[in-house]
Amino acid sequence: MLRRTEGIVLKTFPLGEADLIVSFLTPDHGLISAFAKSPRKTKSRFGSSLEPFTYSNISFWGKEDSKLPRLTQADIIEPFQELREDIATFTAASEAALFTLRLLAEGEANKKAFYLLRGVLRMMLRPSDRSFVIVLYKIRLLDIAGYSPSLKGCARCGKTGYGFYTPDGSIICDSCIGGAATRGLRGATPHHIRLSPGCVKLYESLRTWDMEKVFRIKPSLGMMKELQSLLGAHVEYLHPEKR
Amino acid sequence: MALGIIENLIQRLTSLPGIGRKTAQRLAFYILAMPDGEAKSIAEAINDVKDKARFCSVCFNITESDTCSICSDMERDRKKICVVEEPSNILVIERTGFKGIYHVLLGALSPIDRITPEKLKIEELLSRIRTDSAEEVIIATNPNTKGEMTAQYLKEALAPLGITVSRIAYGLPMGSDIEFADEVTLKKSFEGRRNI
Repeated sequence: MLRRTEGIVLKTFPLGEADLIVSFLTPDHGLISAFAKSPRKTKSRFGSSLEPFTYSNISFWGKEDSKLPRLTQADIIEPFQELREDIATFTAASEAALFTLRLLAEGEANKKAFYLLRGVLRMMLRPSDRSFVIVLYKIRLLDIAGYSPSLKGCARCGKTGYGFYTPDGSIICDSCIGGAATRGLRGATPHHIRLSPGCVKLYESLRTWDMEKVFRIKPSLGMMKELQSLLGAHVEYLHPEKR
Repeated sequence: MALGIIENLIQRLTSLPGIGRKTAQRLAFYILAMPDGEAKSIAEAINDVKDKARFCSVCFNITESDTCSICSDMERDRKKICVVEEPSNILVIERTGFKGIYHVLLGALSPIDRITPEKLKIEELLSRIRTDSAEEVIIATNPNTKGEMTAQYLKEALAPLGITVSRIAYGLPMGSDIEFADEVTLKKSFEGRRNI
């Protein structure tokens, strides 16, 4: 059956002589991979519509449970060409795309994730701190996907604590971590990250504040690094990166 | 037993890009029906490529000897170096009558695929330009995002060397119709318009 939706190109993978497998994030079907016939040929009707981050109206053909439907049309809505004209911006946008591919499952509709990515790509077109935008995107996407770390006190006893335990994805206070570490929870190597109270507060603000107001927050470089290492450790435990 | 041999050939053929089980099966039975000499010459050609083909020590084109036929040709214009992504690009550009020399990067920058400048033959290009007498570098990477990123990176890396750096033109392919062009391609062709 023919399905129509909107989609943002996250990644393309060359196949055969001139074909591509294109990964899209769509509002109605979540992450999908589609087979595009000959887009690399000079006179392809796809033109530049399959370049990374292009936002298009797409149509694809295939059974409902098809793993690789065939892309029949892609009409550009927003090309996001400026994201591809500067190496630093492109690298930042690529980080957002990779994070999305890593976190979301294929074929699960997620309108919020789609609109978040579209909003973040638009933010990157404006002069803004790219690393801040990427951290903000990661925090919001974790929240939408249901993978947010639990930072509101110790997950075991409820007491205040600032030690983040990656196997639990939550704060575990010092007295509880002693037991957890010796028991070797879930058979994993205990990984305890010490967070500052400021980092926990910043995380919650970035997760919950209104998108328009969130740019009023001006975190220090040290705080951003702390937040990035928390996100890195949390996601690496959830979805280890394929190398 | 014979089916085991055929099955083995089918399995080997499916490891080639764009060849699925059905095509591999068809090819395997076609090879079986071929005259002995013809089938063996295919096997020999594959062996030859694997045994003898290597990268040119100067430009990284595919060659049988240390330097490729283009690099060894003294008639060519050594002041113009055309930078391409893959050796196969050279074959196409050669058909245009270009008489300069080449440099193959063996890929293009792609942060999403973790392909960084260190993984490409960029440093080799820079040291080649420093020692040779090149006056112009023509960047002929693909007109897509990876090719563009590579061209931008090269532009910045080549700037201190004080040579002319040019990029192949963008726009509509010959024989196409404006009506079917997308806005990015059309915008690029307007930006790159020239007086006639």
